[in-house]
Amino acid sequence: MTPSNTPLFASHTALGGKMVDFSGWMMPIRYGSVIEEHLHVRSQTGLFDVSHMGEVRVKGKDALAFIQYATINDASKLANGAGQYSATLNEQGGIIDDLIVYRLGDQEFFICVNAANVAKDFNWLKELAKKFDVSVTNESCQWAQVAVQGPTSRQTLLDTLKDPELKKSVEQLSYTHIMEFSFEGSPGYIARTGYTGELGYEIYVAPDKVETLWNNLLKSPVGTPKPIGLAARDSLRLEACYLLYGQDMNAEVTPLEAGIAWATKLDKANFCGKDALLKQKGSIPHKLLAFVMDEPGIARSHMSVFWNDTRVGTVTSAGVLPSLGVNGGMVFVDNIEDLKVGSEIYIDIRDQKKRARIVKKPLYTAKTKD
Amino acid sequence: MDFPSDVKFSKDHEWIKIGPDNTGLVGVSSFAIEQLGDIVFLELPAVGKTYSSGAPFGTIESTKTVSDLYMPMTAEVVERNEAMLKNPEKLQTDAFNEGWLLKVKISKPEEQSSLLDTTAYQKYLQES
Repeated sequence: MTPSNTPLFASHTALGGKMVDFSGWMMPIRYGSVIEEHLHVRSQTGLFDVSHMGEVRVKGKDALAFIQYATINDASKLANGAGQYSATLNEQGGIIDDLIVYRLGDQEFFICVNAANVAKDFNWLKELAKKFDVSVTNESCQWAQVAVQGPTSRQTLLDTLKDPELKKSVEQLSYTHIMEFSFEGSPGYIARTGYTGELGYEIYVAPDKVETLWNNLLKSPVGTPKPIGLAARDSLRLEACYLLYGQDMNAEVTPLEAGIAWATKLDKANFCGKDALLKQKGSIPHKLLAFVMDEPGIARSHMSVFWNDTRVGTVTSAGVLPSLGVNGGMVFVDNIEDLKVGSEIYIDIRDQKKRARIVKKPLYTAKTKD
Repeated sequence: MDFPSDVKFSKDHEWIKIGPDNTGLVGVSSFAIEQLGDIVFLELPAVGKTYSSGAPFGTIESTKTVSDLYMPMTAEVVERNEAMLKNPEKLQTDAFNEGWLLKVKISKPEEQSSLLDTTAYQKYLQES
């Protein structure tokens, strides 16, 4: 299949972006140095083209009941305009996708899903929706998306907005909340969310308007906005210990194993996969932990993890952690009580066992997200 | 891209600068470094190890990928560039001079005829 281009393809190549096929989309992996891009987002403002992400709208009388059944978090806690991290599960409790659910109104929700999973998610939601009075629409082609991330991202974004009322609303937008706005005559959304662990916003606009949005942000004199590629997006999210579907979890892994029990509300009424989770709850077979290398060497996905001379699991995501100045990542291991923060582990890097250590999640916490 | 004219290249993008008495310096071309991106880790063999031409002798890692390094000619390792091992990112600024990786003793000098000179390497890059 020929990969698709986002509406910003020409902008990326003009900016020197090295383009790669990422789940069917030609995306910039980097514009220059990955490490510089990473550190830029930790200190100023980074711009990401995330137009490849998918969007699904759920509307109707049963919208809340449907979202409650289809996702693991408790959407009844969401006020209009609020959002939450969540996931969809199969009957066995395996993760179909992780996603953000925003409540737009009493009977309306907007869901942002992973690019690689759009078709799978939409078909799954459509299937589950048969028992509910709701409409489920795949709006992925109707939205382009830019993420503005970093400690100065708010100032950069505010600088590009002219309407004082809008500025005020954006300034007051709480973490994980979403607001509607009008951009160049088309409807859009601004959400205070991101995948970097920094203060940031994700802005949804019509595909034919995104180039204007991108250029406005890029040209802002506030926060030195720079374009950031997928490679830095990956190392930023890894430091924040945000999961990547297909790497840190998949349909064989439950949210209890993947360390997102905090978003799994087993006390709410029935949801798809709940019975399987209740059965698993007493003896969860695996856990996802963070680690750093104590010896030279860079762990990578799929490498084996050893503890007390026994193979206990694999590396899910790992690499250089530029903000920490060390190498590390996350491992998916057997749920052994004594294998915990502080434990010495060994990573099999091309047949050489290199010493590493389990550390607390997340690997990096922003100084301030306000 | 400018390359020095006193080195020979393998198609694996390693270079070798042949000195007197069959000694040589081995490194990676700036083209390969540029393709890899940020260089974050290097693994080089111990002094005394011997490799035949085309054999993997170490690895070079960027933020995203690991690549094997291949010996351009059959040779024995005489010295490793400890400065590059300590600061592999320096390869990004000088892949040809300061950025040598191994000093070697060449065992089969006749193998150099199968390597590319600078003009041929440039042509090879344009074609691939």
